[in-house]
Amino acid sequence: MTQRVGTSLEFAFTCSLSDGLHARPASHLAEAANDFASESFLTNLRTGSTASLKSVLAIISADVRHGDRCAVQVRGTDEQAAYAALQRFVEQVLPGCDVPLAGLSPTAGSDTLPRILQTAGVKCCFGSPVTGGIGQGKVVQLTGMALPTGLSARAAIDSQSELALIKRGLAAVRARIREKLAYQQFSTEAAVLQADLAIASDVSFAQKLTEHVSQGKSAGQAVVEAGEFFIDLLRHSESEYIRERALDVEEICLQLLEEMYGRDFQAAAFELREPSVVLAETLAPQQLLGLDRKWLKALVLEYSGATSHAVILARSLGIPTLVGVKSARGVIPPGQEIIVDAVRGFVVTELTPAVERFYERERKTLASRHGFSPLQTSGPAITADGKTLEVGANASSREELTVALENGADGIGLFRTEMAFLQLDRPPSEEEQFAIYSEAARGANGRRVIIRTFDLGGDKAVPYLNLPAEDNPFLGYRGVRIYAEHRDLLQTQLRAILRASAFGQVQIMVPMISSLEEVLQFKNEIAEAKRDLERRRIAFQSDIPIGIMIEVPSAGFILDQLCSELDFFSLGTNDLNQYFLAADRDNPKVTEISNVLHPGFLRFLKQIVEEIHHAGKWVGMCGEMAGEIRHLPLLVGLGLDEISVPPPQIPAVKRALSQLSAAEGKHVLDEMIASRDRLAIENLLESAQAVKSAQPLLSKELVLLGSESRNKEEAMQEIVDAFYIAGRTEDRQRLEEALWSREAVYSTGLGYGFAAPHCKTEAVTADSIGVLKLKKAIDWGSVDSEPVNMIILIAMREPQLANRHMQVFSKLARKLMNEEFRGHLLAVENAHDMATYLAEQLEISLH
Amino acid sequence: MKIVAVTACPTGIAHTYMAAARLEKVAKTLGHDIKVETQGAMGIENKLTENDIRQAQIAIFAVDIAVEERERFNGVKVIQVPLQEALKDPHSIFAKIQR
Repeated sequence: MTQRVGTSLEFAFTCSLSDGLHARPASHLAEAANDFASESFLTNLRTGSTASLKSVLAIISADVRHGDRCAVQVRGTDEQAAYAALQRFVEQVLPGCDVPLAGLSPTAGSDTLPRILQTAGVKCCFGSPVTGGIGQGKVVQLTGMALPTGLSARAAIDSQSELALIKRGLAAVRARIREKLAYQQFSTEAAVLQADLAIASDVSFAQKLTEHVSQGKSAGQAVVEAGEFFIDLLRHSESEYIRERALDVEEICLQLLEEMYGRDFQAAAFELREPSVVLAETLAPQQLLGLDRKWLKALVLEYSGATSHAVILARSLGIPTLVGVKSARGVIPPGQEIIVDAVRGFVVTELTPAVERFYERERKTLASRHGFSPLQTSGPAITADGKTLEVGANASSREELTVALENGADGIGLFRTEMAFLQLDRPPSEEEQFAIYSEAARGANGRRVIIRTFDLGGDKAVPYLNLPAEDNPFLGYRGVRIYAEHRDLLQTQLRAILRASAFGQVQIMVPMISSLEEVLQFKNEIAEAKRDLERRRIAFQSDIPIGIMIEVPSAGFILDQLCSELDFFSLGTNDLNQYFLAADRDNPKVTEISNVLHPGFLRFLKQIVEEIHHAGKWVGMCGEMAGEIRHLPLLVGLGLDEISVPPPQIPAVKRALSQLSAAEGKHVLDEMIASRDRLAIENLLESAQAVKSAQPLLSKELVLLGSESRNKEEAMQEIVDAFYIAGRTEDRQRLEEALWSREAVYSTGLGYGFAAPHCKTEAVTADSIGVLKLKKAIDWGSVDSEPVNMIILIAMREPQLANRHMQVFSKLARKLMNEEFRGHLLAVENAHDMATYLAEQLEISLH
Repeated sequence: MKIVAVTACPTGIAHTYMAAARLEKVAKTLGHDIKVETQGAMGIENKLTENDIRQAQIAIFAVDIAVEERERFNGVKVIQVPLQEALKDPHSIFAKIQR
């Protein structure tokens, strides 16, 4: 129906899009409107707000929701054509241009949630846990919208040149997006880029920028203020999709600032004032260090790289961290109280009583698991078959050192020294460095401290070194390569390290060695630093061991030469792997390729370790590969002398090592090396966990009496947690799912107040029986419809020792049919007697 | 009465054996002579021989999955019930036989 209102043409429509007119449909609409000279406007009849149809941001700001009635007015020289085209577009095209974006909003009740939370229907966002731990606090969003220091105060030169700067910047941003679009095949990603492009071309945005500049502001200031204006507008929208678009505006502003001023600007420091969870796209290590540790309870990153330096740092500081939480800042508003579960990998965005209760229990479980230790954590770990492996810690600060020593580190396998260089705007002095290193040497109390000389360059830029910007910094000017040019810096550090060697067992390690010449040159430098100290009559350990990081593959092929010059080696698997496989470890697109389990990489490691040992030298591993429990069979198999891991992981690593067999590890490694596909390798690694078969079927820790669980979900969880605490499962989620999928066939409530849940799963490390006796009976859907107060849980792995254990399980099942046996179980008062009685009846040992 | 039975459940860890124990016990109290074969995680145990089957007047299958070597029972009268029946109400199974 056409109507002439005043001098314009008008039609009305009802918005049928389920998420309203958000950025993607809006960008299509604006594109259509921009084909014509005529002005066109949209009025949201619910709110009365009017927007230019040529501006995506304006359309979005009109906050048109599903079912809203809208009017469109067109007026101008080609109004007839524009009117017809727009009406056709609104009626025919618009309803179809909204393919929902996947995974943006908090999802309710997914099957990767613990059953209790699923049942409670909590809201959460998923990510990848990279640290362990649980953190709770108010959301603080770290946005990158800040000007380079010095620039914020700068006044405009003159509005003409500021405007020109903005125009050039916008054109470059658009060109960049178009370039990406040309390579983009997937419709969702292309649609997001289209929406970005629309913002970068938006007339309202351009208008706002011009407005600010004409008020005398600098181009940068104008971008920040215009950005904040629109971000604020979008954030107040009712629609989650539209709030999400605030991030797009921010992204465009950042790109624009980068085009205008180069890459050097950084986000301003944030001050935390209460228990906080920081949400960010990604973080620079300096930014993380700038946050007050007292209030920083957890970290949520949208970026998915698990080995960025900020993540490595967060891990060694024990800050619960999730990565790859898509659009976290768009979905979780600032100020909201949330829980970050970095054990299981999600953020709970709504703290209901059920959630609170779950985490109260979870915190106890984690504390118990941490405290449960069947062996002394001090002293090197010894495998079940008697092979010794030192477990050192990676550290870079006093705090990490303290955590490391408390957790029973056998030494510091990697002491990073870059922090002192990154924190100041000048190089740290010899005295400052000496204070740090000697404290570490003394604190380690006779244990080995391997201090790595500075590894600057690459992604660790230091302004005062004036390192050139590089297209490919990881393959560029970094580590040992910059030492020749910065000899003073190196000499200062070497003197500080040598002086510290008088206070403990210090060793020097050099990063990024690729040739023998570099080693010889470095040894000359050490000799000079020693001469210097001798002249000054300052004490140091004259035969201080010198070693290198093996992280450039070429070093792995000249080991005969290197071994003749060096005392020890440490495998820096992060860089070694990314150089070996030519895959950037921080690029999510090639995460699949950058894989430490690649048979070629494993062969390489094996060859390196064998050759170094052949020469009688020491070799450790300090990369991220060493910190993963599931890799331990391999590392033991490699025959390393030491592994160096993030401090919080030491007790778990030592415990796991004590249950492994070195001989079996070697066998697994050889099989993996011969494997032809990734799945086979994963399976082998999984079965290697099963080597921990020394555990008895039943132990006192698995008998829980007086349980206060209120329902089937909680009871099941409680036994699974007991398995976890006792180290019988590392994957509670999978164990729980295996039990519930058996429950789904029909209830395991067998009547008489007894239930016998059971499953076959690789999620347990050993065949196990768990017992839970409840204070108050709960419903289990039993055959006799009676509630249950006694739960006997059986979990077994795929056969191995299965037959022997199956005989026990079948005996137990048969006995449960016996009234006298049940009566006895109900009467027993304490866990010890219960375990003893069961052991007698089933003829098994508790040890 | 001479009875043979087979029990089998999906995981073969618990219910197969619970049902076997239950059937044996109830049969005894009712004065029947029963032999129960279990088909669980350990494979077939207490296997019914050709002789056992030939002599039996009836076979009870308390199973949630297919009976292995089913052909052994060709020509024998079979009562098949969900395994849970053997736990829930074994007496009714025997009542059916009597009829």
